[in-house]
Amino acid sequence: MLLKLWPQQTNVSFMSARLIGAVISSLLIASSVFFLATRGLNFGVDFAGGTVMELEQTDTITVEAVRSAMPLNADVNSAVGTDARSIVVVKYGEADASVLGDEFQALPPAEQAERATGATNELVTSTLKDALGITDEQILRNDSVGPKVSQELFRDGITALVAALVLMLIYIWFRFEWQFSVGAVAALAHDVIITLGVFAFLQMEFNLTTIAALLTIIGYSMNDTVVVFDRVREEKRKYKKMPDKEVINLALNGTLSRTLLTSGTTLLALLAIFFLGGPVLRGMSFALIWGVLIGTYSSIFIASTIVLALGMDLTKKPVEDVPGFQG
Amino acid sequence: MLQFPPWKVALVLLTLAWGVVMALPNVANMDNAPGFMPKKGVNLGLDLQGGVYLMMEINPDEVIANRLEVFAGDVRSALSNVAPSERIGHLPEISGRQLEIKLTRPDAEGNFPMDEALSRIRKLNSNVEGAIGGAKTYEIEALGTDRILVTVPAASEEALMKDALGKTMTIVRRRVDPDGVSEIAITPQGNDRIILEAPGEPDPQRLKDLLSRDGKMTFNLVDNSPSAITSAQAGVPRAGYRLLEGPTTGPLLVRNIPEVTGADIANAAQGFDEGNRPQINFRLNSNGARKFYDTTRNNSGKLFAIVLDDVIMSAPRINEPIPGGNVRITGDFTQEEAQDLAAIIEAGEMPAKVQFLDQRTVSATLGHDSIRAGTRASMIGLALVAIFMIIAYGLMGGFAVGSLAANIVLILGALSGLGATLTLPGIAGIILTIGMAVDANVLVFERIREEQRNGRSPLTAVQAGYERAFSTILDANVTTLIAAIILYLLGSGPVKGFAVTLAIGIVTSVFTAFVVTRWFTVMWLKTFRPKKLAV
Repeated sequence: MLLKLWPQQTNVSFMSARLIGAVISSLLIASSVFFLATRGLNFGVDFAGGTVMELEQTDTITVEAVRSAMPLNADVNSAVGTDARSIVVVKYGEADASVLGDEFQALPPAEQAERATGATNELVTSTLKDALGITDEQILRNDSVGPKVSQELFRDGITALVAALVLMLIYIWFRFEWQFSVGAVAALAHDVIITLGVFAFLQMEFNLTTIAALLTIIGYSMNDTVVVFDRVREEKRKYKKMPDKEVINLALNGTLSRTLLTSGTTLLALLAIFFLGGPVLRGMSFALIWGVLIGTYSSIFIASTIVLALGMDLTKKPVEDVPGFQG
Repeated sequence: MLQFPPWKVALVLLTLAWGVVMALPNVANMDNAPGFMPKKGVNLGLDLQGGVYLMMEINPDEVIANRLEVFAGDVRSALSNVAPSERIGHLPEISGRQLEIKLTRPDAEGNFPMDEALSRIRKLNSNVEGAIGGAKTYEIEALGTDRILVTVPAASEEALMKDALGKTMTIVRRRVDPDGVSEIAITPQGNDRIILEAPGEPDPQRLKDLLSRDGKMTFNLVDNSPSAITSAQAGVPRAGYRLLEGPTTGPLLVRNIPEVTGADIANAAQGFDEGNRPQINFRLNSNGARKFYDTTRNNSGKLFAIVLDDVIMSAPRINEPIPGGNVRITGDFTQEEAQDLAAIIEAGEMPAKVQFLDQRTVSATLGHDSIRAGTRASMIGLALVAIFMIIAYGLMGGFAVGSLAANIVLILGALSGLGATLTLPGIAGIILTIGMAVDANVLVFERIREEQRNGRSPLTAVQAGYERAFSTILDANVTTLIAAIILYLLGSGPVKGFAVTLAIGIVTSVFTAFVVTRWFTVMWLKTFRPKKLAV
């Protein structure tokens, strides 16, 4: 019993719809840039610095109790944690030097700047322990990142994204032609910008795992694009006289059911993480789900459109499959 | 593509068997298994088992200033601790990263003994360890007629930092894990950072307290005459002495130059006194024991202060000469405090103070919750994908699911075998791999479908499908592998764990999809010889 909802052979003229795709993508990119500029990204402690604590919520450890015990301004909220546990989330930056005691104030200013985050965390942790009788086990999470490291983590994250894009560009150039590598990397940049735009629009927390997700999106979207490009090269070799537009349509239709099936299985797995993996993985799985959708779309509409616009000339370079491979 | 000679089958089976053996400890208790079987499952990251992560930094300025201080001491011995006629009067001053030595005594004609001073100081200058061409640790140059400037060149700074980082790591290890039994991991990062990961530790504060001390231990003679203390409190301490405090001793006037230093301590441990109160026992090495004996013999009746980081721990009165070099500190300690102090004293002095840059704590409760949630998500994700594949491709989909199961076993086996660390994002990486692993299968199956449509027999369709899908599969997976490698190189902690599982997952999924599924298919084709392949 096979489910054959999907027709065996499709003949959708994707390239005729490329203008619609271009308009949609332009709108999405423009609004992403707009939201990134106006709302900005909601950086987590990894990139913003400061402290985030998660406390187990009990009769005595409540949002109100924590808020009134806090020695400085803090963001205190109730939330549902991993495995449906009720938690109190406390976020704060650095306390004034005056709150941190004489010993701290005696330090030179440069050292004060480096130590403020850690000292504030020590103060808050001991204050909350004393005031509310919180035990170590009830502090589910206590992360504090100083300004130096948060800036470095951000810089490393951006470096990783750019390095990934450049390496992909080189690899595709090596395996195909420059038109393909421009198309592929434009599609990747498109995916990354729009994903950032969605994070800015929804104000979802942007942290290290989100960067990991973005890199995975790059890998995944590239995967999709390469499959299409491989087919384009094959069809072009088979039908030398056929116009590029037809060749690309043929390739897109030939890979369409694979594209949708793979996206489908990946999405199923990702939805399982999103709903069942707990809040730590929610931002990451959300980025990945969005990335699979946008990556599938971009390899059909963006990468191929750009290759079509730049033209391809496969006669210059001998086309080879991987040499020397024998099953 | 369709030939599976016995050696190839053996290789596939061996690989799968290796995966099963390596993965077994993750699901079963292996205590009673035969000796060749691995006993340990995959390492869990701090986010899954709970614990403390600390990133520390040592400040290059401080390392260099401390080294220059030591060098200034050597200079003093070379210029002053010689026969009176050879002495060269000088005044050292350290500011930032340089040491300036000002010559103070000109000869009768008003000339300073610059050449002699320079040549003696240059003799003290050692080669940079491991440097080619005999680069020197310090750059020593004359400034005008009476000043000598000592600086640290960049190449030597690197060596000094490396040395300081190594020493700091040793001291960190000895302080937090004096018995060498805990699972605390201490790793260097760059040339000025240390990462400490302490699984199972619920409270970062104790670790920070242990590590934020210099650990500078000295034994100094004391002037405890009330008049001297009063005048010191008024701001006029006796020359060569300074005022220090202690929790049990109150303010005391302590001689600046110590009689015995921490470098002479052979070992320290927590013990109990006659009243069963915790105390710290330590033993001096032979050099220290001799100095200690001499001091106690010559200073009967005086107080002898034991000073740690400018705090007087204890100041007993010297009643008689003490040979043997066994010393103890009694005081108002809890047992844990005494243990920590003993660890700090035994570990020795830090080359420079550490700063804490990044600190993360996850409780064991949250870790367990995460494992449970991650496992559940994987199981359900796997089930959904399996159902989807069987609906879409029937029997061939079933083969794909079989190879997917082999894939999971191999990922777990590889993670355990390589000693990699599984983190929560790493679990997400496995689930993502489950989704993406079927991609290679899908690519092949779609090709087989097409070839069958073009009128090929099942056998040749399978052959062509695999042949033609191969370069696509390779290209597609190399690009994802590139992303994973970059993540590994630039990521940290949990993200690194994600990169590792993603990379392992890519390799195993290509293997299982391209070899294991094909093998299943070929066996089935050869056994049943179907007229048409339902795919």
